[in-house]
Amino acid sequence: MNENAPRVVVVGFGPVAARLVEELLPGVAAGTLAVTVLGAEPEPAYNRVLVADLGVGRTTLDAITLADPTQLRSAGVDVRLGVRVRRVDRASRRVLLADGGTVAYSWLVFATGSAAVVPNLTGLNPDPLADPGLGSAGSGGAVLPAGVAALRDVRDAAVLRSAVDAGARVVVLGGGILGLETALAAAEEGARVTVVHHGSHLMGRSLDKAGGSLLATTLRRRGITVAGNARSTGVELAGPGRSFSALLLDGGSAIDGDLLILSCGVRPRTTLAAGSGLATGRGILVDHELRAHHDPTVFAVGDCAEVRCLDASCLPCRGTTGPSGLIGPGWRQAEFAARALLAEASNAASPAGLPQEKESVILLKARGVDLAAAGTVTADPWDEELPETDVAPVREPLMVSQWSDPGHGRYVKMSTRAGVLEGFVCVGMPRTAAELVLLFERGSELPADRSSLLRLDGPEQLVDTGASSGPTGPEDTVCRCAGVTCGTITDAVESGCGTLPEVSAATRAGTGCGGCHDTIRTLIERHFAPAAA
Amino acid sequence: MSTATHCPYCALQCAMTLDAPAPGTFPAAGAGGAAGAGTTAPGVPVVSGREFPTNRGGLCRKGWTSASLLRHPERITEPLLRGADGVHRPISWDEALELVVRNVRSTRAAYGSDAVGVFGGGGLTNEKAYQLGKFARLALGTSRIDYNGRFCMSSAAAAGNRAFGVDRGLPFPVEDLDTAATILLLGSNVAETMPPFVQHLAGARAAGGLLVVDPRRSATADFTANGAGLHLAPAPGTDLALLLGLAHLVIAEGLADTEYIAERTTGYAALARSVAPWWPERTASVTGVPAPMLRDAAARLAAGARGAGTYILTGRGVEQHVDGTDTATAAINLALLLGLPGSANGGYGTLTGQGNGQGGREHGQKADQLPGYRKITDPAARAHMAAVWGVPESSIPGPGLPAVELLASMGAPGGVRMMMVHGANVAVSAPDAGAVVKGLRSLDFLVVCDFFLSETAAEADLVLPVAQWAEEEGTLTNLEGRVIRRRAAITPPPGVRTELWIMAELARLLEAPSMFSAEPETVFEELRLASAGGLADYSGIDYPLLDSGAAAYWPYPVGSTGTPRLFLERFPRPDGRAAFTAVAPGAPAEERFAGATLALATGRLLEHYQSGAQTRRVPELAAAQPEARLVIHPATAAARGITDGAAVDVANARGNVRVRAQLSTGIRPDTVFLPFHYPGLQSANLLTQSATDPISGMPEFKTSTVLVRAADPQEG
Repeated sequence: MNENAPRVVVVGFGPVAARLVEELLPGVAAGTLAVTVLGAEPEPAYNRVLVADLGVGRTTLDAITLADPTQLRSAGVDVRLGVRVRRVDRASRRVLLADGGTVAYSWLVFATGSAAVVPNLTGLNPDPLADPGLGSAGSGGAVLPAGVAALRDVRDAAVLRSAVDAGARVVVLGGGILGLETALAAAEEGARVTVVHHGSHLMGRSLDKAGGSLLATTLRRRGITVAGNARSTGVELAGPGRSFSALLLDGGSAIDGDLLILSCGVRPRTTLAAGSGLATGRGILVDHELRAHHDPTVFAVGDCAEVRCLDASCLPCRGTTGPSGLIGPGWRQAEFAARALLAEASNAASPAGLPQEKESVILLKARGVDLAAAGTVTADPWDEELPETDVAPVREPLMVSQWSDPGHGRYVKMSTRAGVLEGFVCVGMPRTAAELVLLFERGSELPADRSSLLRLDGPEQLVDTGASSGPTGPEDTVCRCAGVTCGTITDAVESGCGTLPEVSAATRAGTGCGGCHDTIRTLIERHFAPAAA
Repeated sequence: MSTATHCPYCALQCAMTLDAPAPGTFPAAGAGGAAGAGTTAPGVPVVSGREFPTNRGGLCRKGWTSASLLRHPERITEPLLRGADGVHRPISWDEALELVVRNVRSTRAAYGSDAVGVFGGGGLTNEKAYQLGKFARLALGTSRIDYNGRFCMSSAAAAGNRAFGVDRGLPFPVEDLDTAATILLLGSNVAETMPPFVQHLAGARAAGGLLVVDPRRSATADFTANGAGLHLAPAPGTDLALLLGLAHLVIAEGLADTEYIAERTTGYAALARSVAPWWPERTASVTGVPAPMLRDAAARLAAGARGAGTYILTGRGVEQHVDGTDTATAAINLALLLGLPGSANGGYGTLTGQGNGQGGREHGQKADQLPGYRKITDPAARAHMAAVWGVPESSIPGPGLPAVELLASMGAPGGVRMMMVHGANVAVSAPDAGAVVKGLRSLDFLVVCDFFLSETAAEADLVLPVAQWAEEEGTLTNLEGRVIRRRAAITPPPGVRTELWIMAELARLLEAPSMFSAEPETVFEELRLASAGGLADYSGIDYPLLDSGAAAYWPYPVGSTGTPRLFLERFPRPDGRAAFTAVAPGAPAEERFAGATLALATGRLLEHYQSGAQTRRVPELAAAQPEARLVIHPATAAARGITDGAAVDVANARGNVRVRAQLSTGIRPDTVFLPFHYPGLQSANLLTQSATDPISGMPEFKTSTVLVRAADPQEG
């Protein structure tokens, strides 16, 4: 390590920052660059994806921790935890800390992630202009009343944990994937859960009506109350601690509860970047090499970054849709940014461009509920496709295939163009779902007989195709190891072999793995049975 | 006369008895076609299974018919020299040996000692493997020796050494598997490759605990049916991700053996962090194995570890990749998390492939090794061997090149100009076989020792006929690390010599230092001294001990009774602990198959062994599997207009293979399978790539990108 090497300062220490720092370690070891990472939370990076599991007591903080500050420090990384950044001064390339300290940088990487959206509800009093900054990972900067939490960080998880342990009534506000995962996990661990959402069906952004409705049915079967089309207006606070007691709905009704989990989406944290004069849209605007507009020394990665070049006609940026809020793209960005930084620090050529992200696949993390979806799923089998003007005139039509069996909790929809998936929904069929995910991610062509995909979840997959029916014809092989047919064994039996060892001695059948012994015995019995009777 | 010996083929080394032939007594004679044709030749011994822990009297079809090759009409019985017209003609042994010596001398003089290369095999006895390494280094003075085990065991060996400090395929007797509740078989199709081994899975199957990981619904995967276990079918090239996902579950769900981890391992914290990103749904999206099945598998692994035992076994399916060492490491990590290795709760092992795949990797035919599983770069190891051999330490060359690099250097500038091949058929078994054949043809002089004119021997300038398994004495070390005796039952045909004799004669003619014996027992006595104090210590083993029937598992230092179970007290690493190594998937070796391309996996059939040079010559086996067939999913076939049995072309930039299609729903639609036992236009290795694992040098055999189309009946 080299204290005087040009320094990369990473603001934020979540999963994406952890990957970035790890990828930069070779440069630190070689002395070509120095690294400081500033984490607002007292914990080192942990896997935020699994916070719901932590909140219901299924896993431990240790098991989801992604970085070891001690090890990083001994590798030469300047790791600071529980540190707030007050301001970034790009003119002097300094980061000003809340405790009065400053850190100079040669490159700055924003990995500030996103914060939970706090909806406009009477009683929550969020300041619409407040930005979370780095003060709190979870509550979006707003001070939430007791009994109300988002589920973004370790502290939120602890709140949920005590509610679940007490068998409390948990109200989840929001019908998106994170809310449903929380609801399912909490219900399974003993909480009484109500999901409140304002859409016509669950997971409205990822599922079609049929998929969302079937999912609601599945949730209800698992004891979860689902309240759809419900517009919430405020929270009722009661008791000496003024803690949450009910969610108030439009029209005057209310849903009682002990804990309200806000699951109304996330918003990239951009205040620090905006305050330093960087351009922001939904996130911090960066080009497709992850560098901020007009300042190539500043990068943004992960949830806080919005990849969109200044040049609106930029081809690699076409079709980007802002931060995905998913971890996979964030990790790929971290790897790319690290390669770019390592290359620049050693005056090497910059790496090839960041691979374009495909639309992400949604996989519900829950036990006993299988749901996967991706892409555009709104089309129906009999839709007339609307002509699209911005594409080449010759275009394969969209084809939709579906299988619907709500009574057994199964539903599949596949939207394909030229045999390649543009979107799908799959509920209650785990093997089919896993296969569709691979086909979607790889852009592979589906079998023309789409129903062959459905059969992956059929019962015939669980039986041995050969052995279950048993040999029928004389040419069928009974003993694979020795290559002995049914006819050969029958011949041996007919010429006097009455026991398995005798058949084996005469034909070698059954002398390898022994798997055919039952079949040979059956053939012997079949021959002698009539005589005995 | 009755001889107790072992099968010539795989590492299970099934015990068999060879009896002198007596007319009419062959067990299967006239029993409806099961009898091996060719076994009726005069003088061929009769094979029968013999009670032994690995095979319990069972044999597969290959074993039953193995004796038919002893007096096979295609047997080579005289040295053959290829003339300018390309035709091989007999010459005398004196001429043949003189020719080898002259070429060694001229090659050395012109290009230096490293221009002479040696390529060995995992089928050679311990004695031959040991003396071949010594011959290369002392008689030829070359560092350029490696062997076909590089294509077989190198990844698991590297992973075992890294984690445990030693590599013994199964660090426990195979019978320990019998009582296990859970067995996780990763990339191993034992139902085809070592059928009698399947008996040891019966307990786990009865307990519903056989977990088979294979992209194909192989015959072994079929054993999980009807409630006997689970078949997990990851997409090709995603085994490592699957194992990371299982490790994640074991940690996240509190299934790890924390006491064991604290007492017997190092590196847990870093390992736990490395698998934290692999939650089940993410793992599912990479591997195609549904998350509920991953949870189920993790739960069964943990339940077995707390109950009657869990064993995790790897095979070539997960090891023959550019990330094979890391994948085997991930399997070991999983075993360590569950507290298995060196405990009463189970263990980890790799299923060695070739007959002496274990012993063959211990005694110095590896480019980086000296006998006793010593490192050639270790000054203490070099000093020890110099003392045993009675040569100056400086005369022992340093490390050479691993197999794929060695083969690639044939005829290349600075590469080998002359090659000696023993017990290998690289023209069929090496990756990118088309390039290998070109390399063989570019050599100044190629010597091949074999008993048939294999595809590699056919390329040779000089072919030296050698004895077969039942014609010579020796020892092998089976998949358990147990040293066993191979015994001569009949005398070799006149004109045939043993490889030990050839090495001894050539060493004499080359005026090599030290001693080279043609007597197996003499060589073994020297091997004992050479291995003493090494990881694979054979010093307490001798022929009389083995002949007494003793179960001799190495390490077996003088004064001990051997080591059936390793790691009970400690792991042979400096701190005595097993090491977790965090691993992560890297970039694929070749552009991931997409669009019209398919992933090609290569593998084996029950009826054939390795390159098929032997089994394709057994009439019964050749009749059962006369040709390579491309296994393809019916949907994939239909989209290409391919019907069952139709001729197809399988092609990529490296080569083109023409075979017939075999439609099966037991394979993924994006994957095709081809056995590699066949030569010529059916040779699967024309399509595989020479990319290798950076740690082990293992080639990528399991995911080559290919295009498949119906063959045009008008062509060829």
